Amino acid sequence: MATVEFSSLVKKYGPLEVVHSIDLAIRDGEFVVLVGPSGCGKSTCLRMLAGLEEISGGKILIDGQIVNEIEPRDRNIAMVFQDYALYPHMSVYENMAFSLQYRGFNKKEIKTRVAAAATTLGLTDLLDRRPKQLSGGQRQRVAMGRAIVRDPQVFLFDEPLSNLDAKLRGSMRIEIKKLHRRLGVTTVYVTHDQVEAMTLADRVVVMNNGRIEQVGTPEQVYHHPETLFVASFIGSPTMNLVPAEHDGTLLRLNDGSVLIRQPENKAAQPGAKMFGVRPEDVTVAEGPPPEGHSEVEVVVDVIEALGADTLVFATVAGSPFAARVPPATRLQPGASARLRFPNDKTHLFDADTGKALA
Amino acid sequence: MDTPSRHADDRKTAVVAQRMKKPFLSRKTRHLAFVWMLLLPALLVYFAYRAVPLAWNVVLSFSFWAPGKPIRFAGLYQYQELAFYDGIFWEVLKNTAIFMLVIPISIMLALALALLVDQKITGRNIYRTIIFLPYPMMVVAVGIVWRWLYNDNVGLINYALRSMGLISRPIAFLESYDFALAAVIAAAVWQILGFFMIIILTGLQNIPPHLYEAARIDGARAHHRFWRITLPLLRPSLFLCVILGVIASFTSFDLIYTMTNGGPGHATDLLITYIYKAAFTLSRFDYAAAMTVVMFVLFLALALLTNRLAGGDAGKVDISD
Ligand SMILES: Nc1ncnc2c1ncn2[C@@H]1O[C@H](COP(=O)(O)OP(=O)(O)OP(=O)(O)O)[C@@H](O)[C@H]1O
Ligand SMILES: [Mg+2]
Repeated sequence: MATVEFSSLVKKYGPLEVVHSIDLAIRDGEFVVLVGPSGCGKSTCLRMLAGLEEISGGKILIDGQIVNEIEPRDRNIAMVFQDYALYPHMSVYENMAFSLQYRGFNKKEIKTRVAAAATTLGLTDLLDRRPKQLSGGQRQRVAMGRAIVRDPQVFLFDEPLSNLDAKLRGSMRIEIKKLHRRLGVTTVYVTHDQVEAMTLADRVVVMNNGRIEQVGTPEQVYHHPETLFVASFIGSPTMNLVPAEHDGTLLRLNDGSVLIRQPENKAAQPGAKMFGVRPEDVTVAEGPPPEGHSEVEVVVDVIEALGADTLVFATVAGSPFAARVPPATRLQPGASARLRFPNDKTHLFDADTGKALA
Repeated sequence: MDTPSRHADDRKTAVVAQRMKKPFLSRKTRHLAFVWMLLLPALLVYFAYRAVPLAWNVVLSFSFWAPGKPIRFAGLYQYQELAFYDGIFWEVLKNTAIFMLVIPISIMLALALALLVDQKITGRNIYRTIIFLPYPMMVVAVGIVWRWLYNDNVGLINYALRSMGLISRPIAFLESYDFALAAVIAAAVWQILGFFMIIILTGLQNIPPHLYEAARIDGARAHHRFWRITLPLLRPSLFLCVILGVIASFTSFDLIYTMTNGGPGHATDLLITYIYKAAFTLSRFDYAAAMTVVMFVLFLALALLTNRLAGGDAGKVDISD
């Protein structure tokens, strides 16, 4: 078990800088998920931590020790790859035993350890098979087995579930979580799937364009996004974001209608803003608005009944605006409607910098 | 579900089925006919130029026959001659076996070169091209070039050895009983090396890079990775080279013919060149046929053995699954 620290970490491919001076401190035993859109540098960071990519600038520390110049094999880490990277010419047993053979274990110890890992992951009956004789989910398990036999200090996962179907992904997610509970090993997990990020992480690191946008618990990044990017990336359907203008006391939409009367101290500075509210905080207005609530007049475009609830996609002042409402809604596509939300669930961002305004 | 609409559906299906005419041949028969139609030209050529001559060759090997003479049954006469009375046959068989050193030598060199040009070095495509270049060259041209290189008066090799002070008098490599076979082997290696390198390079590039990364993290050092990942996963490519090498050893007629014509004496004669001489110099087609049968059997045995050793997957490219 160990802490992991990135300090002003930079990665360049030739003249192209893809990771721009990242700082991150991961606690002992913590499950941290790096999440962000494709190409934002998640894998690159993970691979630098693994020792597979040269570090162009800054430092990486594992357990307080700088590992920049340390070979992957000496970092005491284990990694699960997206395509599993199982050795195709070896049996499941040999795949799992491979790393132990280079770490001074004798035959008997190797056998016990592989057997224990196989039991944990339900692989006992598959030990003699070759990878190509396994299903995707089983391969995934072997890849994890290969990682856990060694008792590494840190687990690294690079999109380990993205080759599985949705159902299997759900169950493997739970298994990974259980495994982490049980072993308590510091884990860095890369994904572009925000559901994985939210469900697995102790802390989520939201990345964009080679920078960290926000680090926080799943609750923090969901309820208190610090940037426009985080607000739009986390949550499904995504947060409603509507351009608005602040004149000092009132927040107005582009069409001039008043959005919020008492902008509760937020954004004392007048200027262009982005107003945000999550679809799940929006309800259909009935009667006069209660204290501390605001309303918008929208035109309903599409209604999607999901069963448990219904998504209403509408337009307000030229911007899309969605609401997650109970299934029995009387709203009709094409008709206009009044939607309501509590003021304390709204977010306000500076339109230029994208930073949240407290 | 006994609704009116269901009945309507049934009726519609029946009408459609009636309208479709039953074809003359069943689907499977038509499919087979199509397959045979496509195969036929190739099969005709195969029988006319391969199977029939091969069969004729076998018949001939049990006969006495010369052009213009009637054919007579000879039993095992030709085989007895080559086994018990023809010392040269055994010499050329030994030469052929020695000539097969081309296979391990060129595979090892090709593997080393492939590993080198697989690195991210500048100009690696140029190296690859240069190494591959001899292969598509006409073998006769290669033979002539090498004959000049080995020449004792004007040859580059003698010149180099003498300027380095390694020898005092020029060596006539191709006229020497000691050096001729080795010299021919060197030329054959040079010729086939590039082809083997390309085969091995393809094999190398089919190994997913993630395997090496996983192995590095697992603790395997460079030489462990070579022995435990690269080599086992190259097995199909390497065995493909072996089989092609075996074929080349039995068929390197043109190289020998242009470089030494089997000489001095029979020092560089291979089975194939000796067969040629028996047939076309001595006009002993019956005896040549017997030796050809022996060569065919030997070749088949070696090819089968190689493929067995390869686990039946020599040349298999896809190793991932
Ligand atoms: N070998 C390389 N040479 C040049 N640029 C590279 C190289 N590898 C990655 N990049 C670039 O670095 C950036 C970050 O890549 P990275 O693989 O870390 O993204 P990612 O966040 O893991 O994305 P994904 O979700 O698609 O896996 C990308 O813009 C990519 O094009
Ligand atoms: Mg990636």
